[in-house]
Amino acid sequence: MTALSATVNNDTLAFMVTAVQEVGGEASLIDRAKRRDSKAFELLYRQNVDRVYALCLRMTSNVSEAEDCTQEAFIQAWNQLDKFRGDSAFGTWMHRIAVNAVLGRMRKSKREAYRLEVVAENTDPQPLEQNDGELRDLSEAIDRLPEGARHVFVLHAVYGYSHVEAGELLGIAAGTSKAQMHRARRLLAQQLAEDGYRE
Amino acid sequence: MTDTNDDKLLRDAANLSRSIPPERDLWPGIEAAIEQPKRGGDSPSWLYQAAAVVLLVVGSSGVTYITLKSEEPTSVVAPEDLFYERAAFGSSYSLGPGFTDARGGLAAKLEAQLDRLPPEDRAEIEQNLRLIRDAIDEINAELAKDPGNAQLQALLLKTYREELTLMRRIGDLTQSVISRNDI
Repeated sequence: MTALSATVNNDTLAFMVTAVQEVGGEASLIDRAKRRDSKAFELLYRQNVDRVYALCLRMTSNVSEAEDCTQEAFIQAWNQLDKFRGDSAFGTWMHRIAVNAVLGRMRKSKREAYRLEVVAENTDPQPLEQNDGELRDLSEAIDRLPEGARHVFVLHAVYGYSHVEAGELLGIAAGTSKAQMHRARRLLAQQLAEDGYRE
Repeated sequence: MTDTNDDKLLRDAANLSRSIPPERDLWPGIEAAIEQPKRGGDSPSWLYQAAAVVLLVVGSSGVTYITLKSEEPTSVVAPEDLFYERAAFGSSYSLGPGFTDARGGLAAKLEAQLDRLPPEDRAEIEQNLRLIRDAIDEINAELAKDPGNAQLQALLLKTYREELTLMRRIGDLTQSVISRNDI
């Protein structure tokens, strides 16, 4: 991502936040979107897309796949808006949908999952951390993790979900989530030691 | 890796960006998808086809209704291509000599063609022609009583046209007769 695009995105975000405040906030936007107001839904998209995309990118380790998953997540959200009761924040609800979009995409077929893994291994990932060399190393090391370990590490270590919550999101047992976390930490430790990760 | 380093790993992981803007605007693709009308399960294709048929029937019925309604005396507006034909009628209606000749010629050719047709086809055609000609006679009789009746004039022209159309179809006659403006 270039500095220019970052500036544009920040400007756009600021504009949209202002627009959201003017039209009455997230709850109002959700109500309007439930009534099939696509303009209101676009504002919700602008508010949440960066977080949804980040999650998709960290889970897929591939820009193109992350873009597709992000779009799929918002399309699913539009189609399921009537199920959103407001028990959690809209962003939390979107996270769940995004995880399902990523997993659904990977579960479509074993071939697809295999392809995603191959792409992840062969693609030079987008540098996610601009300023800190160590964080960039960590981010790139996460990208190289096997799929199962990567998903758990992203949800548990990066996003702070408990193993129970991560297990629910991923459709696995909490114990499995813990095991995958342990595996992820071991693999990361090995990779980062080779990269001179500081103690 | 030591425990300390392991803790550092988790701390750093928690500090990774959770918000990353996509490199391109993804909204247009989403917008295109959500604004697309639903297809498939909700509305089977036969339903669309049935709706199209109903629309067609209603539409054509509407046109027929409007056409018939426009033939009422108070709202008759003859199309431009009928002006010349109408001029042949009016208060002292009569068929032009050109039309009478053309009609007579067509009828003669039709008689020749009819002889070549199978008996069943010939009987059906003769019956149709008889119905049309009976209608022409009746309309003419009414026009004799009310020469200025625009509705009857229009109806007479329409019936003559139907007769000509039928004769043309049977005899495979050329359009030169129809294109004549001496009706």
